[in-house]
Amino acid sequence: MTPVLLLQRVGHLVPVLLGVTVIVFLMMSLTPGDPAEIMLANQNATPAQVAMLRHDMGLDRPLMERFVSFVGHALQGDFGQSLFHRRPVATVIMERLPATIELSVAAMAFALLVSIPLGVMAAVYRGGVLDRLATVGALLGVSLPGFWFGILMLIGFAVNLRWLPVSGAIDFAAQPPGITGLMVVDSMLALRGDSLMNALAHLVLPAITLGLPMAAILMRVTRASMLEVLRQDYITFAEAKGLGRGRIIALHALKNGLLPTVTVAAMETGSLLGGNMVVETVFGWPGLGRLVVESIFVRNYPLVQAAVLLYAVTYVVVNFLADLLYTVLNPRVRM
Amino acid sequence: MRLKPLLILAAAAAGLYFAPVSAAELRIGFTLDPLTLDPANHRSRETESVLRTMYNGLVAHDPSMKLVPELIESWTWIDPQTMEAKIRPGVRFHSGETMTADDIVFTFTRLLADGAIAGQTSPRKGLLGPTREVVKLNDSTVRFLLTEPWPVLPAMLTFQEVVSKSFTEKAGAGGIATTEDGTGPFKLVQWRRGDSLVLERAASYFGGGPGIPKAGNACIERTIIKIIPENASRVAALLAGDVHIINELPAHDIRTVEANPNTAVMAVNGTRSFFVALNTTKKPFDDVRVRQAANHALNRKLMIDKLLAGRATKLDGVMSPAAFGHNPNLPEYAFDPKRAKDLLTAAGYPNGIDVTLDADGPQKETAEAIAALLTQAGIRTKVAIGEGSQVRTRWAINGKKEGDMWITSWGNGSLDPTDIFEPTLQTGGRGNSAFYSNPKVDALLAAGGRETDATKRAAFYQDAEALIHADAPWIFLWLPQDLYGVSRRLTGWSPAASGWLNLRDVCVQ
Amino acid sequence: MISRLGKLLPDKLARLAGLGVLAFIVMAAFAPLIAPQDPAATDLFRRLQPPAWLDEGDWAFPLGCDALGRDILSRIIFGARVSIFIGVVVVLLATVIGVMAGLAAGYLRGATDRLISGLVDVLLGFPYLIFAVGLMAMMGPGVLNMVLALAYKEWVVPCRLVRGETLAARETEYVEAARAMGASSLSIMVGEILPNILSPVIVVGTVRIAQVIILEASLSFLGLGVQPPTASWGSMVADGRAFILDAWWVSTFPGLAILLLVLCINVASQAVRDALDPRFHD
Repeated sequence: MTPVLLLQRVGHLVPVLLGVTVIVFLMMSLTPGDPAEIMLANQNATPAQVAMLRHDMGLDRPLMERFVSFVGHALQGDFGQSLFHRRPVATVIMERLPATIELSVAAMAFALLVSIPLGVMAAVYRGGVLDRLATVGALLGVSLPGFWFGILMLIGFAVNLRWLPVSGAIDFAAQPPGITGLMVVDSMLALRGDSLMNALAHLVLPAITLGLPMAAILMRVTRASMLEVLRQDYITFAEAKGLGRGRIIALHALKNGLLPTVTVAAMETGSLLGGNMVVETVFGWPGLGRLVVESIFVRNYPLVQAAVLLYAVTYVVVNFLADLLYTVLNPRVRM
Repeated sequence: MRLKPLLILAAAAAGLYFAPVSAAELRIGFTLDPLTLDPANHRSRETESVLRTMYNGLVAHDPSMKLVPELIESWTWIDPQTMEAKIRPGVRFHSGETMTADDIVFTFTRLLADGAIAGQTSPRKGLLGPTREVVKLNDSTVRFLLTEPWPVLPAMLTFQEVVSKSFTEKAGAGGIATTEDGTGPFKLVQWRRGDSLVLERAASYFGGGPGIPKAGNACIERTIIKIIPENASRVAALLAGDVHIINELPAHDIRTVEANPNTAVMAVNGTRSFFVALNTTKKPFDDVRVRQAANHALNRKLMIDKLLAGRATKLDGVMSPAAFGHNPNLPEYAFDPKRAKDLLTAAGYPNGIDVTLDADGPQKETAEAIAALLTQAGIRTKVAIGEGSQVRTRWAINGKKEGDMWITSWGNGSLDPTDIFEPTLQTGGRGNSAFYSNPKVDALLAAGGRETDATKRAAFYQDAEALIHADAPWIFLWLPQDLYGVSRRLTGWSPAASGWLNLRDVCVQ
Repeated sequence: MISRLGKLLPDKLARLAGLGVLAFIVMAAFAPLIAPQDPAATDLFRRLQPPAWLDEGDWAFPLGCDALGRDILSRIIFGARVSIFIGVVVVLLATVIGVMAGLAAGYLRGATDRLISGLVDVLLGFPYLIFAVGLMAMMGPGVLNMVLALAYKEWVVPCRLVRGETLAARETEYVEAARAMGASSLSIMVGEILPNILSPVIVVGTVRIAQVIILEASLSFLGLGVQPPTASWGSMVADGRAFILDAWWVSTFPGLAILLLVLCINVASQAVRDALDPRFHD
């Protein structure tokens, strides 16, 4: 891919990101309830004080002007004050972000590690026992309500069997020195096996709950695209040349067969990001998703606004990157 | 090398991931992460509970909720508008610096002056009422100057914690929000947002107010406050022995916790009054008979027995029986559906009324139960669940006054009537969600707010409570106990009505 | 078309799933006749009563009672109404809007296409649940708001599908023939293109119903759903979560209901897909 093409693609991103920002801004501006009054609740504030805070927060200016100022500040990483933490939204979000990243990556890793081998095997041994099991499993995976399944796993494995911890991301005693804020990574950097175990044990249930629907979908996609690829002429040709089936799959089929998996995996990060809200609530995970849910109920708009924007931008960028990767991997795709 | 991860996984599968627990460690399962560690910049009970493990106030409570001096040795009223406080000598902050009169003046200036916290005004300013200024008289004495008589000041001082001037100035608004330098029994090691706070015993601790009897010497080195918002997970953590104390034990889990040989339930009478505010400015609740009918229609005893496992005190008035100035002679609004129907008929509603009960998420269950019980008595009630702040805005004193009923509560941590009567029942009070206005009550509250003679002052509030009882601007509900689940290995700890986690004497066997 | 329908429900599993969906629809439609109790009737004396086959159970309340002593089975039966209503209405609404927008974008192209595709791209930028949560926070709870919050984004799915199909169809001979005969754009879109691309739209629609039902349940679980006393499966699971240690039945059964319905729809929709759209065949 030439630099010009790359630039063009990046150029396509800008209107999308702008549109996303407009919608997020409108969503929160049109929400009933006055942030100034919320911030001054419990404070015996006179209407004059509320009006003054409204002015300070710029709420009395026209919508367009507020939008421009919102975008201007957002570009500098300033999303205003979190109404209840009374600290900058960006700071509060950054504190909770590593946990969410860790959980999302773990869920994605789980989904990929389960779905790709299963999908490939199901396609290769089409109609066999494994194929049927995988198909049924995938159906269950997309049909399970995550919040409910998470609760059942929590009660089963953490409370009753006591195999896994009930809540949180790591125990204090096992905590590695903080470098990245990602417990698994920090444990490995510190070469601490106990920490790694502890962090992984905390991750197992939330990551499975979050990653299961994605695993199911990716399994289906991989299976279908592998079946497609295995029927292609060049595979038949390779077989005719006398190459072993295992080698054919490894050398030729996988490379092409996994292309759709990449795209769909990127698309499904959307459900990972959304699912975080539910899973973190169920498992007491100290991430951003739980914070967003809590913030909605106290109408902490600046935080909700910034978080929704962050999720959307992440999602757009992930899909953009997957798109690039797809183009790079697949020489047949031209712009 | 390649084998190592596999070995680790195998060990994890065998359940070896559990971290070693030292006996000198106390672990608490707590509902909410503190919003901030800045004692002056929040209005959250949970935040204060956590902060009180690291900070102290000028005044504290003993276990019977009596006021005792903490960082001061005594207070005296010079006149009704001037209170003098003698500073306790030898109190040191965690940094090692000695607490001085300047720190106290600084603390209160930061609370009182507009925009003192990096441009923000402290949301706790309102808790200091007519306090105008705190001045240093000499190195061991400060004076509180008021704009009008306010005898409740010492009780209200329990809501404020003293910060170090040099630390606060050095750390800035961001620093004090995430780190601490208090005078309390524990100091902060680490705050992992949304997950836990790790505290260790502060060697510099002065030992606490002498008015608070000691249960023994604390023998824990470290306290971990683990944030577990899910009720079931918190209880599970206690039952599993992962934590030694949990707050907000759900009433329906009492049996489970008591049945477990290693755990027990501890309770303390709360200070939060629950009630249903009735919109007195609008039909049908503008008629006192309808409001009284609503009070007679509700079987509160049944609700307390079933929903709260009996762990609440039925209220027929405004505040806790333990509060100063409570009127013990209020008649009961007995459960009497027939009486309720008669009152409704007398008010011109022989066929009953149709009303809506507003509630926020956490009150959903109670609201639905109330609605069902009222409906049986001819007050056909629909429940509308809204988000907390949305509902509060709807019932704000300067709002549109459109609702019919709202189930809410008011905390009275000081157990002083000023703290609950004035905001919720004085004409125009900031929490007067019933939009109640009775000139006689207003006059009594004004008199009580100024009166410095305790007996006379109590009489004013008793009269006011009797009037309010008869006017029934609320459906009076109950005062729940605060329930905690504790490990039987725990000693030297009991829950406090204030919600503070008093860790001074605590031991884990 | 008829012969294709004959292939519908080819195997036993799909037939079973189809019956399951039908059973849920019947249950929802005749809820007042089927439900053993009034789903809103509270009785504090029956608080957290266990299912009938356990000690202290009572066959009048087969699956036990919730925290307010309401019959869980009856609430599940009435809850089917909410789930199915929202699933079907959202997808129908989204399909109507999405098909119109997709036809317009794919056939008219130019500025119309840029406008619609631009909006689609922006909406695709939001993770679904996050978008719905933001909208529900803005509009407040309630069935209608829930339908709107989901439909605002859901229409993108049929829109993209229809746009792609239309772009392809507009170059086909039959469309060119119609154009040569002077047919108007509208009549070509509705009369010529639409019937030919309807199959994949129906296929996708049936699968989407299942996903919308899960989304509805998730929103209700987070407390952003319908108003009480209306029973929604998601909010029943959420309410029961607090009692899971000593009254597992309160959350378990409503969750099972979600799983069953969604599973049935997914299996049945696979059969619909196989029957209607041979291109999807393995």
